[in-house]
Amino acid sequence: MKKKLALIMAMMLIPASLMGCGQGSAAGAAAEPASAESTVAADAGAETTEGGGAYVFLDEDLGVESYAIGFRVGDEELAETVSGAVQALVLNGTYDAIGEKYPEIKDYLCLKADDIDASTLPAEGSGDPSFTFKHGFDLDYPPYSYRQDDATVGGFDVELCQAVCDYLGWGYEPVPFNWDAKDMELNAGSCDCIWSGFTKEGREDDYTWGITYSNNTQGILVPADSDIKTLADLSGKIVGVQTATSAYDMLEDSQKELADTFAELRVYETYTIAYNDLKAGAIDAIAIDMTAGSFLIADDKA
Amino acid sequence: MTLSTMLSAMGEGMLRSCAIFFLTILFSMPLGMVIMFLRRSRLRLVSAITKVYIAIMRGTPLMLQLLMWYFGPYYLFGMSIRGYRFPAIIIGFSMNYAAYFAEIYRGGMETIPQGQYEAAEVLGYSKTQTFFKIILPQVIKAILPSVTNEIITLVKDTSLAFTLAYNEMFSLAKQIAASQTSFTPFIIAGVFYFIANYAVAFIMERIEKALDYYK
Repeated sequence: MKKKLALIMAMMLIPASLMGCGQGSAAGAAAEPASAESTVAADAGAETTEGGGAYVFLDEDLGVESYAIGFRVGDEELAETVSGAVQALVLNGTYDAIGEKYPEIKDYLCLKADDIDASTLPAEGSGDPSFTFKHGFDLDYPPYSYRQDDATVGGFDVELCQAVCDYLGWGYEPVPFNWDAKDMELNAGSCDCIWSGFTKEGREDDYTWGITYSNNTQGILVPADSDIKTLADLSGKIVGVQTATSAYDMLEDSQKELADTFAELRVYETYTIAYNDLKAGAIDAIAIDMTAGSFLIADDKA
Repeated sequence: MTLSTMLSAMGEGMLRSCAIFFLTILFSMPLGMVIMFLRRSRLRLVSAITKVYIAIMRGTPLMLQLLMWYFGPYYLFGMSIRGYRFPAIIIGFSMNYAAYFAEIYRGGMETIPQGQYEAAEVLGYSKTQTFFKIILPQVIKAILPSVTNEIITLVKDTSLAFTLAYNEMFSLAKQIAASQTSFTPFIIAGVFYFIANYAVAFIMERIEKALDYYK
């Protein structure tokens, strides 16, 4: 009897595990060519993804926000030095060069060389060489800071921060942290700044802010064949969002009236899970910022 | 990202998970023994304090405890917590699991009838001898299945180290899943955990059989 039971269970397990393997290897095999394709698609900019892809952003957006560098309250001097160095990198072209590598971000970079007064900036190599700048960021936030295709830590913010340290002559120490514990990490001194696609709006008084180096727009991502065309169409639909993001904050605050028309605002731990739910048809739309959203649909390898 | 890059990155995470696992076992199992004795102490105050300790350790989420252990020294004493991340994880896990082990050990101790202590005394065994030669071998046999349960839970609980941004396997799975928009890392993580737990169950079964000397 026991043997029979065990046999039946084993037989049930085999197809289950095979399904798992199949998905795994298929996704793995598809990874290389897909990444080449996605770079091409993304290079063409957000407009193309809106036209041809399986998922598109609605024309109406939820609002614009600015990404800046957050320092401990009172760290004015550090904030000023780092902001100055970022501007110096705009002047010498490093800022745009890094932007070129991240097509989803490129269009949202807001610093222009013409607006910068070069006389007030810190000189190259003027930093204290014994100082190590601890860069606090979230590793789940592509394309600003994430694990890249070769499994190393990277992203726009990581490269820009490294460039700042190189410019000033500081040491660079990456401190990836759990996003929910970011304030504890910053206050306890395990990092010197929060620099990870960090939204300034709504947090003006909580940090000493460095320079705003990028803008972003919060939008609604829907399947291309969806009947949702405007924000009003979202009434009675299920919308997914990642916890502790600006999209979530907006839907709880400035866009609260809109959120109230949803059948449900479903809050996810990560956008990866929300995106899979969207693909599976379990939810109707995702509220997400444009750069992260473009990354999600452009880089899809599953 | 190729499957092999993914596997090697997650393999590295697996090593970190293993480090948490083995160090926690190393510290929590003996510590649990100490706590069990304190809990059974005849001094009312000692056993009452231990009871509170166990109640807190079992009654609050391990995730919260990890945050307390890591950030506590800074917020309470203003100490620098540079380089303290990994020790905090080990302390948090060990203190938590010690409480569970203590209760498992206590359950084992309760199964030994009073008569055995009396018989040992009559035969001239000292208290230490009674414990190590007569009581402990029986207790170990009785508690092995519960200990196996606890160890298997620990294998899966190592993923909680993500709270303190320690890049163990599950954190890596989440990061890679975010950057590759793929479910594959989670499947790999599942397979890793399953294999690890299968090994634990296999070894524990062997130990149980080896100790089954009366059959």
